[in-house]
Amino acid sequence: MYIQSLSLRQFRIFNRLELELAPTTVLLLGANAQGKTSLLEAIAYLAVGRSPLTHIEQHLIHWDAETQGLPFAHLEAEVVRHTHREQIALAVERKTLSNGQARLQKRITINRQKVKRSALAGHLNVVLFLPEDVGLIGGPPGLRRRHLDDLLAQVYPAYIEAANRYQTALSRRNALLRHLRERGGDRRQLEPLEMELAETGVTLSLYRQGVINALNLYADPLHRDLTGGQAWLKLHYLPSFNPRRPPEMAYQPALMPEDVPTTSAAATLRVAYRKALVQHRSQAIERGMTLLGPHRDELRFISQERDVGIFGSRGQQRTAVLALRLAELRWLEQVTGESPVLLLDEVLAELDRARRGYLLSLLGDVEQAILATTDAEMFPPEFRRRTHILEVNGGIILPST
Amino acid sequence: MNAAVPPSVTELIEAFSQLPGIGPKTASRLAFHLLRGQSELALRLADALHGLVERTQFCSICYNVTENDPCPICADETRDHSLVCVVEEPLDVLAMERTERYRGVYHVLHGALSPLKGVFAENLRIAELEARVRSGEVREIILATNPTSEGDYTAAYILQRLKGREVRITRLGRGLPMGGDLEYADAVTLTRALEARQEL
Ligand SMILES: [Zn+2]
Repeated sequence: MYIQSLSLRQFRIFNRLELELAPTTVLLLGANAQGKTSLLEAIAYLAVGRSPLTHIEQHLIHWDAETQGLPFAHLEAEVVRHTHREQIALAVERKTLSNGQARLQKRITINRQKVKRSALAGHLNVVLFLPEDVGLIGGPPGLRRRHLDDLLAQVYPAYIEAANRYQTALSRRNALLRHLRERGGDRRQLEPLEMELAETGVTLSLYRQGVINALNLYADPLHRDLTGGQAWLKLHYLPSFNPRRPPEMAYQPALMPEDVPTTSAAATLRVAYRKALVQHRSQAIERGMTLLGPHRDELRFISQERDVGIFGSRGQQRTAVLALRLAELRWLEQVTGESPVLLLDEVLAELDRARRGYLLSLLGDVEQAILATTDAEMFPPEFRRRTHILEVNGGIILPST
Repeated sequence: MNAAVPPSVTELIEAFSQLPGIGPKTASRLAFHLLRGQSELALRLADALHGLVERTQFCSICYNVTENDPCPICADETRDHSLVCVVEEPLDVLAMERTERYRGVYHVLHGALSPLKGVFAENLRIAELEARVRSGEVREIILATNPTSEGDYTAAYILQRLKGREVRITRLGRGLPMGGDLEYADAVTLTRALEARQEL
C-alpha cells in the first residue's frame, strides 16, 4: 500500500500542507525542528488514531491555532491499497464546555463515514523507526506494552475494543478498591468488574502472545543477519497473570492471533484469571490497585542467554530494536497481504555502514518508504537518484531543486 | 467575583453554576436577567423552589419524587405490585409512563454505579430494593438502567446481589440506542424494549 496524498491543517508546525506522494522511496531533507518528524508522526497517527510521540493530543494542534480562535487540527490521507483507494481523516478539536473546562474531541472518518477508533484497524499500516526506539528495549515496561498495543491495533479491531473495555473496567476497579480500603462497602461490587477484566484481559493476553510468537519467527533470522550470523534474538512474553498451566493449555507457537480467542484454552484462562483476581482481593484493597493482568505484562528481549534490556550495550539494543521493527514489517506483510508504509526518522545516522546498507537494501521490497534526514550525504548517490527528494523547511515542503 | 457585583447577586450566580449544564457565563446571564426584569418572575421562582423543598419528598416505597407518600403509582391498586421496574432517575419513570403500556411499579435508584465519580452501592437505593424483594411481594424485577457502560455495571451488580432470591430478574431488551439515556428514548422504542426483555 502507499499514501497518495496527505493533507494537514494546523497540525504541529504545519499550518497548511498539501502533499502528493509517489509509490517509491521518499527522502525528506531538512534541518532539525522543521517538520520532518511531525510529518511521519501524522501518518502514524492516521494509522492507529493515536500519536506515537505524545499522549497529550493538545500538543498536536498548531500553536498559532488557539490564538486565531480555531483550536483544531485536521489530518487526511488518501491511501491506495492493492484493490482500492481509501480516504482516512482525523480531526482533533479543543472544545470549551459551558462550565469553562476544555475538552479535546476527536473525530475519525473513513471514506467520509464517522467511525470508532477501532475501525481504523486494517486501513493504513505503517512501521515507524524513531531514534528514541533504542530506549524501547531497556525502558519501562509500559513503553513495550504500548508498542505492542499500537501494532495489534493496526490489524485487529477486536483488540482495540477489548483494550478500551479493559481500561474502563480497570480504572473503575482501582477506584473501587481505594474506596473499599478507606470507607469499606460491599465487595460484591467488584464482581462485574472482575468478570469484565477476565473477559477482555485474556483476549489481550492471547493476542499479545500470538503476535509475539509470530514476531519471533522473523526477528531471530533478521537479528542474525544484522549481527553477521553471530547472535540470536528471542522475544520473551511474561504475562502478569500466568497460572501454572497444565500442558494442554500451553500456547501453541504456530497459533495465529485470529485463532486464539475461540479456543477452549481462552475460556479456561478466563475462569482461572477471574479466580486469581478474587483470591488477591484483600491484597488489592490494601494496595488500592489491581495487581494482576495485562496492564502489568512484560516483554523482554533475550540474546545469547542474556537480557538485552539489562545487559546489552546501546549498540546491541539498537540492533535488537531494528530486528524488531523489521520483524513487524514482515508480520504486517504476512497478515495483511500488503507491504506497510515504512517511516524512518534519522535512523541511519546511528548505524554503521554495513547495517545501513542492509536496511537500504530492504527498502526496495516495500511499495513506499518515507525517510527523514538532516544529511543527504548519508545515502549513496545511486540510492539518492532513485528517490524523490523533498525539502522540509519551517512547515513547508517543496520538491528538491 | 468582581467588587462591582453585590454579594446577593454573587450568591445567586454561584448557586446557578452548581446546576448541571450551567457554566459561570450562563449563571451570570440568568442572574442579571432576573434582576433586570420585573421582580414577579424572581418571586415566582423563589416560591416554586420553596415548594419543591417543602412539599416534595421521596416515596418511601419506590423513592420516586412525590408530594404524597406513598406516591400515586405505589398507591394505585390497579397496578401490578409484583412487577418492579428499576430505573436510575425519576425522569426515567416519566419515560416509562409515556409508553402507557407498563402496568407494574417502579424503584428509583437515584443514579448508577460509578466508582470514578465516587458513586458506590451505598449511595444508591439498592439496599431498599433488596428489602422490597425480601418482603416477598416481588415476582419480577426489570432492570431498566440506562444502556450505558455504567448502567450495565449497575444492572450486573444488582443481579449479583439478588442472586439466590425467589425472583425473576430481567433486563430491558436491546434496541435502545447504546450509550443513550432512557429518558430520551421514545415510547415506541421503549415499549419494544420492554416486550423484548430477557431473563438474566
Ligand atoms: Zn412510590
